Amino acid sequence: MNNIVVFAGSSHLDLVNKICENLGIERSQVKLGKFSNGETSISIEESVREKDVYVIQSGCGHVNDNFMELLILINACKTADASRVTAVMPYFSYSRQPDIPYTAKGAPLISKPKEKYTFESHPGTPIPQSMLTVEKPMSPNSSRLDAASSASSSGPQSLQSPTPLRPVELRPTSSTSSRIPMIPNGKAEHPSEQEQDSNADALFNASNSSYKLWVAQAGTLIANLLTTSGADHVITMDLHDSQFQGFFDIPVDNLYCKPITQAYIQHHIPNYQDCVVVSPDAGGAKRAAKIADVLELSFAMIHKERRSQLLKGPPGATLTSGGGVPVSTKPLIESLDIRTSLSNNGNNKYVNTTMLVGDVRNKECIIVDDLVDTSYTITRAAKLLKDQGATKIYALITHGIFSGDALNRIGQSVIDKIIVTNSIPQDETIKVLGADRVEVLDVSNIFAEAIRRIHNGESISILFEHGW
Amino acid sequence: METSKRMSTNSIKLLAGNSHPELAQNIARTLGLRLSNIGVYQYSNQETSVTIGESIRDEDVYIIQTGTGEQEINDFLMELLIIIHACRTASARRITAVIPNFPYARQDKKDKSRAPITAKLVAQMLETAGCDHVITMDLHASQIQGFFHIPVDNLYAEPSVLKYIQHKTDIGNAILVSPDAGGAKRVASLADKLDLNFALIHKERQKANEVSRMVLVGDVTGKSCLLIDDMADTCGTLVKASDTLLEHGAKEVLAIVTHGIFSGSAEQKLKNSKLSRIVCTNTVPVDLDVNILDQIDISPTLAEAIRRLHNGESVSYLFTHAAI
Repeated sequence: MNNIVVFAGSSHLDLVNKICENLGIERSQVKLGKFSNGETSISIEESVREKDVYVIQSGCGHVNDNFMELLILINACKTADASRVTAVMPYFSYSRQPDIPYTAKGAPLISKPKEKYTFESHPGTPIPQSMLTVEKPMSPNSSRLDAASSASSSGPQSLQSPTPLRPVELRPTSSTSSRIPMIPNGKAEHPSEQEQDSNADALFNASNSSYKLWVAQAGTLIANLLTTSGADHVITMDLHDSQFQGFFDIPVDNLYCKPITQAYIQHHIPNYQDCVVVSPDAGGAKRAAKIADVLELSFAMIHKERRSQLLKGPPGATLTSGGGVPVSTKPLIESLDIRTSLSNNGNNKYVNTTMLVGDVRNKECIIVDDLVDTSYTITRAAKLLKDQGATKIYALITHGIFSGDALNRIGQSVIDKIIVTNSIPQDETIKVLGADRVEVLDVSNIFAEAIRRIHNGESISILFEHGW
Repeated sequence: METSKRMSTNSIKLLAGNSHPELAQNIARTLGLRLSNIGVYQYSNQETSVTIGESIRDEDVYIIQTGTGEQEINDFLMELLIIIHACRTASARRITAVIPNFPYARQDKKDKSRAPITAKLVAQMLETAGCDHVITMDLHASQIQGFFHIPVDNLYAEPSVLKYIQHKTDIGNAILVSPDAGGAKRVASLADKLDLNFALIHKERQKANEVSRMVLVGDVTGKSCLLIDDMADTCGTLVKASDTLLEHGAKEVLAIVTHGIFSGSAEQKLKNSKLSRIVCTNTVPVDLDVNILDQIDISPTLAEAIRRLHNGESVSYLFTHAAI
């Protein structure tokens, strides 16, 4: 390996060491730190002139600090006459672009660690009649309403966020100024699960403006900043949106974790032939279906949707088939009227429905997702699957961000085993959940092989098919 | 630009990040405007999220964000970039970044092998995000303007400082002192305008944020010394300089700086120092429990620059006159 230089950012030294070991080279010397005023300081300790430079930095921890560090490193290598600089980002920060500030799937702004989690969807999934003769009453509505009202009354000072969150900053407005009704019933949406800043609520729930509130999408910006800093090439893994590659004007190699996860299922899950692969949301269906196809397993999907009106129809009519909606005067979600009315204090009627498409009764389920952040989606999915009769639940995840109180949620959830890669450091995960419940898959071999092949100018397409 | 044909008003929109809400408020109040309705948050995974709550299509957008925060300076920079980018995608007519204290301004040269020129990188990043114009104040090196391909208005705090010296110090017995050779030009210009003498301290620096030997050039015996610098960071230089001046018979020592960053152990150093006063502007928020601190509000200058820029008037008046 001539002329290759591998630098590690401060986010994930362990992975870089493994990659370097695999490549049979020494990690190159770089001093990373901060000046006393907080500015990032780097100092490259060896020559990079005419070298092929790889800078490895995962998008975890203090994301913006790590990203700036990556940009400064790339820029310094470029100005020091490196012949090519490749940014290796095992997890690509800002790759997921939630379009509303807090959703079940996205990251909530503020959430308080709690003793108990319900993992209920709101509203919950109606149980198909084919499975249960009597419709299960939903878990106590009243208590959840209490939680909701207390959540709305509690000020920011009572919120104990697990991570140091900056106080939400809102532009002060006069009483007549426009406030934006964007997330109708944002508070009612997940009453017991999310404690929201009252100011934020005001911004998102006010209803005296016609302007549609929107969230800035940073994807193109991040791509352009990398190019600006001088990156010639990007290597990443399991991008949340594969369209993200199109944001770059430089080559992007999006590696897949699939071969590794596939191998894990085959070798470590007993009787995997009887398992069901489950996608926790529609967006991941393709990813999960691919694994199900290759391993010839059956497939199920959890679908969550927001409807502007209540569905009409007999309970369970649409749930297992996914076909048309039979018309009936009887509301589908009968037991939810309290919450529905709660969420109908605005003009619009929005209702969330969560439904399982597929049969998981008496089966072991493997939930497959590309990333888990707050773990709302995956813990709810697990609860739903258990309710529907699943016997054991595995969660197979590429990027385990586990921000906020995610690990506590997972700890209390019905997920039996969580399998995650080391694209992001997972020491904390093992510490909280215990080594028995967590399996960390090593992706350093994939990255090392990709670096080796890119350095030698060989094709890397074989990496898409085979795991190491 | 066919401004007259357009239906839109093309008015000023003031947006602010989380770095210095107070300054943004002051600017807005001076201009008689309100800050636009945006939300800048951090997700629990520490990514920055910006929510735009009102239309900025075809408007003249000014984003106020300064470089500050020992923990958050990169967060604030990303906030600024994301807001700029958001405005760009929302069809703002012109986007001006108002950055009173330009972050990474001191990393402006390749002073040793492979050192990053981060100030240049930040300039490029601002352009990449979609910035059309930059307003800043007392750049550490005015050559940083050359890192940009877009117009940069480097405002001076000097007129405001001048006013402060004239009204709030013992000007009859004063002498201006530059704590290092690099600042001599700045001090000389101020001394000319005030018709005062000036002295200079030459220092031999070994490492960043560390000060070694100091040599005084000039006579300060019995004088009230005004130490002038563009920024006070760890305050090592200022404290040592004041000690040197007092050793040479100065009556008292005041320090006047533009950017009061006061990082690290600055608070402790100032408390133990023999400085009789430390004066800084509010380009960065100062959270300092020191009773010798005094502040100059420069928001009128920034507000006036915004007003002039919006109306297409010359800004050079502000280089010599303090705005009210």
